[in-house]
Amino acid sequence: MAVKDVKREVVISREFKEYVRDHIPDPGLDESIKTLTPEKIEKTIKAVLPEKLSARIKAVLETCIHCGLCSEACQWYLSNDKDPTYAPVAKMRMTIWEMIKRNRKVDAEFIKQCARIVFTECNICHRCSLYCPYGLDITFIIGMVRRICFLLGVIPQRQIDQAEAHMATLNQVWLSENDWIDSVQWQEEEVGANFKDLRIPIDKEGAEVIWYPLGAEPKNGPYHIERLAKIMMVAGVDWTVPGRDVWDSSSMSMFVRDFVTMQRIVRGLYENAARLRVKTMMLTE
Amino acid sequence: MDFFKDPTLYNLVRGPLVYIAFIVFIGGSIYRIKTFIDLVKKDKTIMPFINLKSTVRSLFHWMIPFNTVNWRRRPVVTIVTFLFHIGLVFTPIFLLSHNILWRESWGISWWTLPEWIADIMTLVVIFCCVFFFLRRVFAPEVRFVTFDSDYLMLVVSLLPFLTGFLAYHQMLLPHKTMVILHILFGELMLIAIPFTRLFHMFYFFLTRSFMSSQFALWKTRDW
Repeated sequence: MAVKDVKREVVISREFKEYVRDHIPDPGLDESIKTLTPEKIEKTIKAVLPEKLSARIKAVLETCIHCGLCSEACQWYLSNDKDPTYAPVAKMRMTIWEMIKRNRKVDAEFIKQCARIVFTECNICHRCSLYCPYGLDITFIIGMVRRICFLLGVIPQRQIDQAEAHMATLNQVWLSENDWIDSVQWQEEEVGANFKDLRIPIDKEGAEVIWYPLGAEPKNGPYHIERLAKIMMVAGVDWTVPGRDVWDSSSMSMFVRDFVTMQRIVRGLYENAARLRVKTMMLTE
Repeated sequence: MDFFKDPTLYNLVRGPLVYIAFIVFIGGSIYRIKTFIDLVKKDKTIMPFINLKSTVRSLFHWMIPFNTVNWRRRPVVTIVTFLFHIGLVFTPIFLLSHNILWRESWGISWWTLPEWIADIMTLVVIFCCVFFFLRRVFAPEVRFVTFDSDYLMLVVSLLPFLTGFLAYHQMLLPHKTMVILHILFGELMLIAIPFTRLFHMFYFFLTRSFMSSQFALWKTRDW
């Protein structure tokens, strides 16, 4: 049976002829750029990349000698037949170098391309810094470009959904404080039939360990809570879970460089630990 | 080309221009390092995390060939890079003729390399420059991020060595003319250092220090 040959729809960059990608519709990128104006873009870029650059950005921009030795560090580069446009240095060249070269005056289409590069072709894993002879923090630069895209609202739809959940509820699954407590108590009840003494202490002051789950655990995999409770019971650990926000240890805000929400999350975790005077914070990974 | 025979030109490149070149190079470098460190101090997330032990370890780790993962993965680039930088830095400092010059002028001198070794090192630097040029042209990942300034940087570092070699062997141009050109290009390179990305010779220590401190913080091994 012959497979119907589907014509591959590609996007070729205006600026960089080598940058050829499949066309992937994404409302987070396609729709959001329609509201952008050149003034808004310039103002936003200048807020992140002012005339007087910060030391971290300056160090990377003024030291990089374009040697390409970082390329083999990148899994995107290696898994795309060593396409030069996937190399870490190429990602800087196509985003921040171009913004600075054009003195922060770029159009919405360019921002969309930047968003595609920094959000969907880089995992912020820092491997390139391990390969760079100067140890340049390329990832930090990518993060700054992500911040520009975030401030402009040009983010892949799935990522902005999760980041918005964090902004609104401080967890990534839109769970309210009550829902969280309810899930914990429900799991305690579930295992109560098998383990008489099993308890999941909520807000126990002076416990040794506080446990912060990932958002998905109470929402999609509540049995994780029950299993952890069993382990803690058998191990005889004096533990507790927080009864107030923030309890989700993940931070989708970090991936879009939403500094305000990032700070609220970390501060919330530490405040819960301080309030209950626990010694150790345990996070799910 | 008659003006090359004029002794005033020789006196100019041999006298005041040398002073200008060294003052610009040393003064400019100190100024740039100082302003950069002031900038670093403004960023509250850098200085508190600088770890001296991991900095020293990382610098040695990367200055030994084939000691890091990336040096081992790219043997040719590694050999060429190290030969190039050793030749570039040490040949001019320990060259016999240069030592004679500053002994005549300032009354100081130190150890010198045998002339044939210096000759080979100069040739090595020239061939390394050719290698880097070819790499910029033919390696796709390098070509994509190459600008005109990269070629210019290569030429600026190549010219003093090329003219020096030609002057020593008295080839191509009359000896005097070649020497004048050689001195001029040497001064040009010194002056260029604080203004171009050749400044990576100093930034190297600062950026490595920053990143190795980060690795120490994350308890990551420096590859």
